[in-house]
Amino acid sequence: MARFIAQRLLAALVTIWIATIAVTLLIHLVPGDPVRIMYGSFQTTPEQLEEIRQRLGLDQPIWKQYLYYLGRLAQGDLGRSIVGDQPVADILLTRFPATLALTLTSLVIAVVVGMSLGFLAAYKRGTWVDAGAMVLAVIGVSMPHFWLGLLLLFLFALQLGWLPVAGGDWKSLILPALTLGLANAAVLARMTRSAMIDIFDQDFVRTARAKGLPRAVVLYRHALRSGLVPIVSMLGLQFAYLMGGAIVVENVFAWNGVGRLAIQAVFARDYPLIQGFILFFATVVALASVIVDVAYAFLDPRIRYS
Amino acid sequence: MTDTVTLAAHPEDAASARKTGFFRALLSSPTGIIGLAIVGLLLIVALAAPLLAPHDPLRMAAGPRLQPPSWQHWMGTDDFGRDVLSRIIYGAQLTLQIGAIAVGISLTSGLFLGLVAGYASGWAEKVLMRLVDVLFSFTEIVIALACLAIFGVGLTNAMIAIGIASIPFYARVTHSVVLVEKNKPYFEAAVAAGAGHGRLIFRHLLPNVVPTLIVVGTLGVSTAVLAAAGLSFLGLGAQPPQPEWGFMLSSSRDLISRAPWMMIFPGLAIAFTVLGFNLLGDGVREALDPRQRQR
Repeated sequence: MARFIAQRLLAALVTIWIATIAVTLLIHLVPGDPVRIMYGSFQTTPEQLEEIRQRLGLDQPIWKQYLYYLGRLAQGDLGRSIVGDQPVADILLTRFPATLALTLTSLVIAVVVGMSLGFLAAYKRGTWVDAGAMVLAVIGVSMPHFWLGLLLLFLFALQLGWLPVAGGDWKSLILPALTLGLANAAVLARMTRSAMIDIFDQDFVRTARAKGLPRAVVLYRHALRSGLVPIVSMLGLQFAYLMGGAIVVENVFAWNGVGRLAIQAVFARDYPLIQGFILFFATVVALASVIVDVAYAFLDPRIRYS
Repeated sequence: MTDTVTLAAHPEDAASARKTGFFRALLSSPTGIIGLAIVGLLLIVALAAPLLAPHDPLRMAAGPRLQPPSWQHWMGTDDFGRDVLSRIIYGAQLTLQIGAIAVGISLTSGLFLGLVAGYASGWAEKVLMRLVDVLFSFTEIVIALACLAIFGVGLTNAMIAIGIASIPFYARVTHSVVLVEKNKPYFEAAVAAGAGHGRLIFRHLLPNVVPTLIVVGTLGVSTAVLAAAGLSFLGLGAQPPQPEWGFMLSSSRDLISRAPWMMIFPGLAIAFTVLGFNLLGDGVREALDPRQRQR
């Protein structure tokens, strides 16, 4: 198991390393002079621009810049933002708990709603329950996240007045988490249904039924437990999707996470902040996938030993 | 109809027989029919937009501002007095353009990368696919944001950004199909017969990858449309006064309680389009792979 974890961690490190290269190259792919673009809205003299270029290390050859970047990264330094002139690492860390709360809450919603719907559809396969659940899932997959968000906002916040439109407390988390969770529940419902249909057709389930075990025992102990395994393996990817989806949903509900920050950074052409965000995002997603892989190996011993 | 029957009767014309079989299969599933109908309707609306739209989509004060749906303005008017229905009809042009350009970019590049990686094998394959996997884990929206940070915002840039962002996905799909095809007897026979690289890739692998890519590409239009609407909603894609559906939704956000029609209709249009391409993609998949139909 230790060897398996080490392997997964190494793969995550490779991902993060590639992200550092991508992020360093990013600023060089900008057509024109990035310093001029970044500071376009500020009053600057050519001397000041030159000074900024030196401070950002942009006057050095790329490989030197990259080594310099890695050196600072090792000390937890992601540079300073253009807007507000604050350490990028500090901004990201202050904003991240909000995004994490949103992502994890919506993951729980997606898993509970999506898996029960998919399980029910597979169990009642071919009936109107199955058809209804799958029509619901197709509609859910086709709806833009932010539109679902606007509809929920309109209904629960403005028409019924049950929940706040925006804010920062747990009550204002409900609508964005519901938006992101329900949108992804649709995807999970379809995956769960097809995974469970495969399981229901397996010999061991038929044997369990044939030997007269109670239906609930067969469902829980035989079908659900083995059906969970392939679904858990998809959760890492789901987490990444949710983190990506959070970028849009945070903007609908003015939820102050890193996603909202990223969009503001793109608008302001705040390259240090954009670079920091991409690296941070890649790191979080890579670590989450290590956790999911380890959980998967824990559930399914075949993975550990192969 | 008689034509297709006679064609199918001639064994030498097996290719077109397979084609008619495909369309028959597509039209025999409800998913395929509904998908085809929605996509067809969208194409007609986009092409005939000048004939169908009751008003100029950009003309301000075509009616009073923020008017609820009425006989003059079926979907109401927006905060500039523009006719929402006309804007939605013209928006279909932009949406289909987005789908075509974004999928065109990602499909051709992904196909190329996947074919090369799958055919090359060895370390080239390993490095290429590892890179593709890493980019895939960054998620499409983050890659698209990075591209927009490089090119700057705007609808054309957003289409290109979405196209680039989906390349890893298409590369992975192509690669996985190539791996399966490479181990089939016909391919091994072609290698043994001494076929060159070009022949192996273009005559043997490519035709077998295409069916899967048609399915994935059709479904991919949905993803591209959703992504572009999302970017426009954030203000990174379409710019005023473009009648783009995602952008229309973003301008409805602050007027949501006064003019809910500004929020409801563009959202319906996006969902309808995405649904159409999703159903069409599922229908094509079922038609190409009869085993799926039993599900």
